[in-house]
Amino acid sequence: MTTTTASGPGSFLSGKPLRAIAAIILLVNGMFPALWILFTSLKTEGELTAKPITWFPHAPTLQNYMQAFSDQPLHLFLFNSFMVALLSTVLTLLVSVLAAYALARLNLKHRGLILAAIIAVSTFPLVTLLVPLFEIMRTLNLLNTWTALVLPYTVLSLPVCTLMLVSFFEGIPRDLENAAMIDGCTRLGALFKVVVPLCAPGVFTAGILAFVNAWDEFLLALSFNSNPQLRTLPVGIQLYQGEFAFPWPVISAALVVGIVPVAVLIVIFQERVVSGLTAGGIKG
Amino acid sequence: MNCNIRAAALACATIFSFAAPALADTELKIYISSQHQPNVWRKALDQYEAKTPGVKVTIETGGNTSEAQAQYLNTVMSAKDSSLDVLILDVIRPAQFAAAGWTSDVEGKDLSTYLPAYAEANTVGGKTVALPAFADAQFLYYRKDLLDKYGIQPPKSWDELKTAAKTITDGEKNPELQGLSFQGKAIEGAVCTFLLPYWSQGKALTNNGRLSFDHDAAVKSLALWKSFADDGVAKKNIAEVATDDTRKEFQAGNVVFAVNWSYAWAQSQGPESAVAGKVGVARLPAMTGGESATCLGGWEWGVSAFSAHQDEAKKLVAYLSSPEVSKFMAINASLLPTYADLYKDGDVTKAAPWFADALQVVETAKPRPVTPRYNEVSETIRTTVNAVLAGVSTPEEGASQIESRLKRILR
Amino acid sequence: MATTTSLKISADVEPRQAAWVRWLDLSDRSLAILLLAPAALLLALIIVYPVCRLAYTSFFSLSLTSGLPAEFAGLENYRLMIDDPVFWETTWNTVLITVITVPGALIVGLGLALMANLPFRTQWPVRLSLLIPWALPLSFAGLIFAWFFHSEYGVVNDVLNRVGLPGVIWFNSPNWAFAAICLTIIWKTSSFMALIILAGLQTIPRSLYEAADVDGAGRLRQFFEITLPLLKPSIVVALIFRTITSLQTFDIPYMMTGGGPGTSTATLAMYIHQNTVSFLDLGYGSALAVVMFALSMCVTAVYLRMIRTKE
Repeated sequence: MTTTTASGPGSFLSGKPLRAIAAIILLVNGMFPALWILFTSLKTEGELTAKPITWFPHAPTLQNYMQAFSDQPLHLFLFNSFMVALLSTVLTLLVSVLAAYALARLNLKHRGLILAAIIAVSTFPLVTLLVPLFEIMRTLNLLNTWTALVLPYTVLSLPVCTLMLVSFFEGIPRDLENAAMIDGCTRLGALFKVVVPLCAPGVFTAGILAFVNAWDEFLLALSFNSNPQLRTLPVGIQLYQGEFAFPWPVISAALVVGIVPVAVLIVIFQERVVSGLTAGGIKG
Repeated sequence: MNCNIRAAALACATIFSFAAPALADTELKIYISSQHQPNVWRKALDQYEAKTPGVKVTIETGGNTSEAQAQYLNTVMSAKDSSLDVLILDVIRPAQFAAAGWTSDVEGKDLSTYLPAYAEANTVGGKTVALPAFADAQFLYYRKDLLDKYGIQPPKSWDELKTAAKTITDGEKNPELQGLSFQGKAIEGAVCTFLLPYWSQGKALTNNGRLSFDHDAAVKSLALWKSFADDGVAKKNIAEVATDDTRKEFQAGNVVFAVNWSYAWAQSQGPESAVAGKVGVARLPAMTGGESATCLGGWEWGVSAFSAHQDEAKKLVAYLSSPEVSKFMAINASLLPTYADLYKDGDVTKAAPWFADALQVVETAKPRPVTPRYNEVSETIRTTVNAVLAGVSTPEEGASQIESRLKRILR
Repeated sequence: MATTTSLKISADVEPRQAAWVRWLDLSDRSLAILLLAPAALLLALIIVYPVCRLAYTSFFSLSLTSGLPAEFAGLENYRLMIDDPVFWETTWNTVLITVITVPGALIVGLGLALMANLPFRTQWPVRLSLLIPWALPLSFAGLIFAWFFHSEYGVVNDVLNRVGLPGVIWFNSPNWAFAAICLTIIWKTSSFMALIILAGLQTIPRSLYEAADVDGAGRLRQFFEITLPLLKPSIVVALIFRTITSLQTFDIPYMMTGGGPGTSTATLAMYIHQNTVSFLDLGYGSALAVVMFALSMCVTAVYLRMIRTKE
């Protein structure tokens, strides 16, 4: 585990009781809503409208989880979300690694302009492009495919990932690549065999960013993939509600099921993610 | 040798390609909400397939709320997608879809055989643009047991309701008991909230798509609902209450009178309900000197203008909207029939006894404004109702706001 | 994030290219084009083409509910926009949300990061509690917090009551509803800020602080003169994307209030969505989108200038 600086701005708070308070504040702030949803998923619907409101479920039941899987094909939603997110992550990483390399290493005349253009692209919310994008997907016959979502999701994460990778690549001394190339590597080979592994933390961070962006998206998934076999999680969860009814306990159960994969990924990669952001500060 | 084989192959392919259409069935795709019991409609469609050789119907289920489906269909139809042949539409949508050129007219059906409100709801510019699938309306639900306990009859006017509610809540001394629950959240139902007392004063909001706004009637309507909250008959935070909140609270035994749609009935008699067997339905109260009116709900069948099978789709729609299917759905899916005589039908009342009581309410139903720009009308009215109930605008301000906005929308 | 250090390539190393690249006789410049091509293609398809169509449509009067075909209208949509009070209100709401939540998330994130920087024995619970809010989908967050702020069944009022304060009917009042939305957005986005700042904090060498100690500088002065300046590069990049995203705020107000009461919590993105998908006024909706784009571009330009002057 990385050791944190004991001196500096935090150090006058390094007494044990203050650490305990800080820990409580952090945990409550971060986990409270997730925990609340967890508790709600174990309650019955009647308990929700009881007053005063209860925090912990009186008679915890797993009924809602069973209903969550039987009311809707939750496993199918998970599968679709996972595949779409995975594919867009892979594509995003591939495209942004190539683009970031070009921007970081090849001395381009209009580098600043290209960077600005990439940032500018993210100023367009996909919400507003819904109708034209739908027409494009329809013309290309891509409706109700994973591709219809993978392409926009890649574009969604492209600017942030590219920018992040550019600063990482610039932090890697060129000598390392040159050494590899003297040894007989091609330029692109050096990229994938030397630079990317060294930037693994950054790549992981960009990957998680892309994955989470794809996992969360709702509007396009609703419009492009109407086929029940292809629905993703955010769209699927919306289906638990009826025209009038909003069964909170069942929806909470579905939400928990929806958050768990991402949370697991995070716990696995959290070391890399934070050290990834840290390592970006490698100074020559 | 090669040339001959190629020629033969080409000939075969050509023959097959000409024969293929004749052998294949016409496939129609019908868009139904997953909320409206597609599995029961499937049975009705199976019967249709049996009656009509050469036609196969597949169901595509869409979003669960009227809003979500509208969003989906709006996107899809804007792009002139031809994959859907028949669409189920919320009763408020046919005008918009027809004006946008998304539905084809369905001629030849006499709309007067249906419940009266449907003729108006489905006619745009003198043409029939959709046919009814099933009906719905807002009812006054009340606690039979509590009314009996205090010797009160179901109220015929809003003033009577207020008095009755006060008597009962004062007598019960239960702080959780609400006199009246209705929808004040800025949902589609809030449009009905506004229109009920407005219509009850004999006023119509639109006339053939043109605005016919009565300012005083509007103020009275908004003031009525606000007074319920102010007098404590309804909750202070009534602006937060959505349709299902009303149902849940009534079902839990915490409400004396409730304004709600037909779906709440079955739930109130269900195993999770605290008031099973204690519920009655009646017509909505009227304004003093006025008539009872309720809001027409339900769904319609439309034919997509981009469908490649116009005739088959129209035939299917006519079938789905027929008395036979309406009866079938009433018995097997508890969907309110669209024909008045079915409410008294022996088989129907055996399956759903309360339909006999429901008829008197459904008869008074009126459709919401039938205009292509309904979404904007709805947005105006529901946000204003919500603002008035939240105390952000006065009824006077609210009425003026609705008037000025509707004037711009419905020129 | 790294500060750019440029190293010169040793003059005698010739970058070797792959055989096919050599065969195509590609120079550095051509290689760059090749590498940027996938990104450019994707952007052209998903962004550039739709945006052009959008801009094109904004000059037409096209409302699907009118049943009339598109009619060239020049700047008419833009003129209507100027007279539209809802446009101004939603734009103002959007700007207000940005002005409140971006610095808000920064400050809260700074606080969280400082706390997370304490020497804890086990790191992962702290990291997880910073990452979960970020990983929670926006639409879910909106849904959950709408429930939290419910006046009767919500946690917020429950906590207030337990502390002895009266509950608030949050969604009855424009100001309280707005506050609820801003709080939710700050909660959601401060975690990401905290992560970035934490990373920055953990790269500042102790030696700098130790030297400052020797020099007699107090903790507070160390914070302002060592910590903040070194955190600046990473903070600025995070702020750019956060601001741009904030101008596009849609999910949280949509889920929490739907824009109410009235239009007091409606954002520009919501208004665009409403006009396009619900009212089917494609001409007007496109014009609104173009204006949002212009607004974002201005903000981006300001930020980029800020970065440029630093380097």
